[in-house]
Amino acid sequence: MASTSIEIGAEIPSVTKSVTTASILQFESCAIIDRENIHNNEELAKERLGTTYTLASGRMSIAFASESMRKFFGPDVFHHTGSVNLKFLRPVKNGDTITVTGKVSSQRQVEQGTEIVVELLCENQNKDRTAAGIGTAIV
Amino acid sequence: MAEQPLKILDYDKLEIGEELGSYEYVLTQEMLDNYRQSIDDPDAAFPTLAVKHDGTALNMVYNDTTGGVNAGNEVEFFNPPVPGKKIFVKGRIADKYLRRDKPYLVIEATAVDEDGNLLERLKTYQMKKPDEVGKKWHPQA
Repeated sequence: MASTSIEIGAEIPSVTKSVTTASILQFESCAIIDRENIHNNEELAKERLGTTYTLASGRMSIAFASESMRKFFGPDVFHHTGSVNLKFLRPVKNGDTITVTGKVSSQRQVEQGTEIVVELLCENQNKDRTAAGIGTAIV
Repeated sequence: MAEQPLKILDYDKLEIGEELGSYEYVLTQEMLDNYRQSIDDPDAAFPTLAVKHDGTALNMVYNDTTGGVNAGNEVEFFNPPVPGKKIFVKGRIADKYLRRDKPYLVIEATAVDEDGNLLERLKTYQMKKPDEVGKKWHPQA
């Protein structure tokens, strides 16, 4: 997909992910230090946030958005020039289904080529926005 | 990184630009497979996201008893890490500020592999009053 013929408004492939307690805990298990947090300890989440559940790490949404971006630009481009910048708006928890969508919003010339900017949106199964931001890649 | 006693994190005493030290680890194929399975993406290339380089750097220096809510992440990808190779991480306090009377802390980590290839730069925006977020999510509580 690495081409400067990318048009403003072009949609990137959407990605839909089921988030479960198992996937949340497995993601947390990738850490290199053992540490209890609001993602893997219900009591801590309750104490700090007042929730009755653990939360998925926001980085899981970064990973989901990165997959959408990679599928659009291709790994050769995205893995070497890509970026994702998300603000987290609502908690993501066990049982949620998160869908990432995105549209090309602008492009500009930079030293290495053309930087393409994609508006990114993550929504849950109720169409509530859980995260929003931008992704970029240089083609 | 040498074992040192953790300092209690005091938001007011944190300094912008403060180094959070550095550490290294070997990325294994098992770590990559585990990460890919957790996000259901067999082609995912940056398990470093789940290692949380910046948060790990902070937690290697500070005992953060308040915790925080991740308000946002910025990540730049430069080269996918290769299983079997050592990854070197450096962390720092990138910024701190008040917004709507809430304290935010921005931590940053840069990862390079044993061959000197820049892999990833990650920033996390932590809101350091997590109970405020809880109230927003559960206003009846």
